[in-house]
Amino acid sequence: MKDDLWVEKYRPQKISEVIGNEEAKGSFVEWLKSKRRRKKAILLYGPPGVGKTALVNAASKEFGFRIIEMNASDTRTEKAINKIAGPATSFVALDTFSAESKGNLLFLDEVDGVFGNEDRGGIGAIIKIIEKSQVPVIMAANNLELQKLRPLKKVCELIRFQQVRIPLIIVMLRRICAKEHVDAELEALERIAENSRGDVRSAINDLQSLAENRRILRLQDTLMLTFRNKDIGMHETLKGVFSAKSFAEAISLLNRSSADYDELLLSIGDNLPLRYSDPVELGSAYDLISRADVFRGRIATENWHLLRYFYNFLAEAVTVAPQSYRPFELIMPPIKIITLFWTKSRRITMENVCAKIGTRCHVSRSKAKQHIVPYVKAILQKHKSSPIGSWLKLEPEEVDYLIRVNKF
Amino acid sequence: MALDEEALMWVEKYRPRNLSEIVGLRDIVDSLKAFLRNPRTMPHLLLAGIPGTGKTTAALCIARELYGQNWKTFTLELNASDERGIDTVRDRIKDFSRYSRAAFGDVPFALIILDESDQMTGPAQTALRRIMETSSRTCRFILICNQSSKIIEPIQSRCAIFRFSKLDKNAMVEHLKNIAQKEKLSLSEEAAERIAEYSEGDLRHAINALQTAAVYREGIIDEKTVLQVIGEASPKQVQLMINKALNGDFMEARKMMYDLIGTYGFSGSEIVRQMQRELIKVSYLSAEEKAELTNVVGEYDFRLTQGANPDIQLSALLAQFSKFRKMQGESN
Repeated sequence: MKDDLWVEKYRPQKISEVIGNEEAKGSFVEWLKSKRRRKKAILLYGPPGVGKTALVNAASKEFGFRIIEMNASDTRTEKAINKIAGPATSFVALDTFSAESKGNLLFLDEVDGVFGNEDRGGIGAIIKIIEKSQVPVIMAANNLELQKLRPLKKVCELIRFQQVRIPLIIVMLRRICAKEHVDAELEALERIAENSRGDVRSAINDLQSLAENRRILRLQDTLMLTFRNKDIGMHETLKGVFSAKSFAEAISLLNRSSADYDELLLSIGDNLPLRYSDPVELGSAYDLISRADVFRGRIATENWHLLRYFYNFLAEAVTVAPQSYRPFELIMPPIKIITLFWTKSRRITMENVCAKIGTRCHVSRSKAKQHIVPYVKAILQKHKSSPIGSWLKLEPEEVDYLIRVNKF
Repeated sequence: MALDEEALMWVEKYRPRNLSEIVGLRDIVDSLKAFLRNPRTMPHLLLAGIPGTGKTTAALCIARELYGQNWKTFTLELNASDERGIDTVRDRIKDFSRYSRAAFGDVPFALIILDESDQMTGPAQTALRRIMETSSRTCRFILICNQSSKIIEPIQSRCAIFRFSKLDKNAMVEHLKNIAQKEKLSLSEEAAERIAEYSEGDLRHAINALQTAAVYREGIIDEKTVLQVIGEASPKQVQLMINKALNGDFMEARKMMYDLIGTYGFSGSEIVRQMQRELIKVSYLSAEEKAELTNVVGEYDFRLTQGANPDIQLSALLAQFSKFRKMQGESN
């Protein structure tokens, strides 16, 4: 990908680089280092973006564990969990006793995503895995109050993470600004940090969307920041992405948007010609939307980890030519949905006509539609009362319809 | 249904009733007749070839010659692209072979004609193969398809395969004149040739065009009438849509695309294929330009199979047309 995301670029490599939550960090490291753990599993919980995943990754790197990871995007049926987690935990790796490697470690991220019908038996399977496991099991979750997680509490140590304190975030943002050669006003960074409500990841994303491609970041540049936890609906998302000045700004908005991704895809597609008046820009943007749609197809109902590529293509499509942006009136809701709604009865009439022709002439409905309907239509147009209509068993309304309908 | 009710569409009216009447397929007809001399030994058949070359006709003729007047009782006609999946096919075949078995007479099996069988997915074909095996004591299959390569090997190996080739122009002109004579029409030589050229070896198209022309002008069909009919019956919308896109009016082109999807219920790939056919006819594009655009169409045809929203892929394709023409314009 052409733009490195700063959250990835500045992901902590060492435990010491994970900011905030010192006490929680301490207990986690102690648990991981200990030779005789009281409980084989540990559950890190707390709001998003405070460093749970980052800590697990950094710590296992430092202590030489190999992470076997599953997160909410994998389907957590009992079968799927056993398939991946079973082998990873059922024996101690041979190189466990060497100095460098401590063997495997099972990491289940976003375990509060384990609910609903798709994940039938998921929690039960996790508990079984923990009981059988020869290796440490680490889990992370945002919301511990969920009823379904209750059984987990009994078999795990619990470590609570809190929002990262604002001053720590400011320090971190300043460090990134220095590395990216952005001259930022302290007030601007304060505002970004406060706005994040202790979510480091979103603070870095905001910083990138505001400061990328700029030398100087002033307080007034941060005024467009929207409050994090506010719902960003379809209209706001579309307005925002089409006026985005960079890929990073668009992707950060898309990631935060609460709009349904299928509708988002359709609506961005619908509005592209209003956004790009130049056919060359429009063509390039549409090519990217088409790729996004291909990924939507690949995601189908299970491969949710592909969603990030889908969003990347959407973000690239809306920022093909940031400088050419002029405000325009949005097309909403999606044309496809409206069209299919208003034309439904016509479509059904057409299908019925084709089915009748198909039976009479020994062809499929689709062949009848393409190869025979045009002639029947031409004949009926010339001769409304042609006996062909009744021979095909068409109702008078159907004959009328065929005569009136646009040619294809 | 009355058996010999006069057919009013000429494609049906002049559809051959027995194998000997089929035009231009001497070799195939001879082998099929050989099978029919001793029906008990008749294998499953696979008839392959482009549309309008007589595959369905041959299958229906076989049914008539096997069972005579009551052929409909013993024949199940299915169309793979109309059925909702292999389970429906299996159920219908099961029901059919159960009810029709009682009164076979001389022929010890019922006949199942499965048209457009290359539209079935691989797994569905595998299931079909099972069905063919389990019902082999009571049923014979005639599978009809455009491309035999799209039929899985195990099915091919269970069938006698017949390839139907494109009807040549002279044979088609002869056939059209024949029909014209029976309908007491005067059909000029040029008009017959025009129809033959336009229909590209597809007899169904040709006969439909002839009948439409007869409605347009009573008694006499000349070249002018034929051209008028061809203009009337050819896909205008698709042509117009391509033109709009090529000339930069993307919004209008997209509107027409939605009309095709909405009103006609065309699938994405049906529209793309029509676009491909019409693209070749656009007069103001050079051969190289057409080749390049064909490449683009092919890419989007593929993306359609992968993607989730046909209308997005079609819009994107139209946008590529606009982009292509603009860039051609700039480089000239």
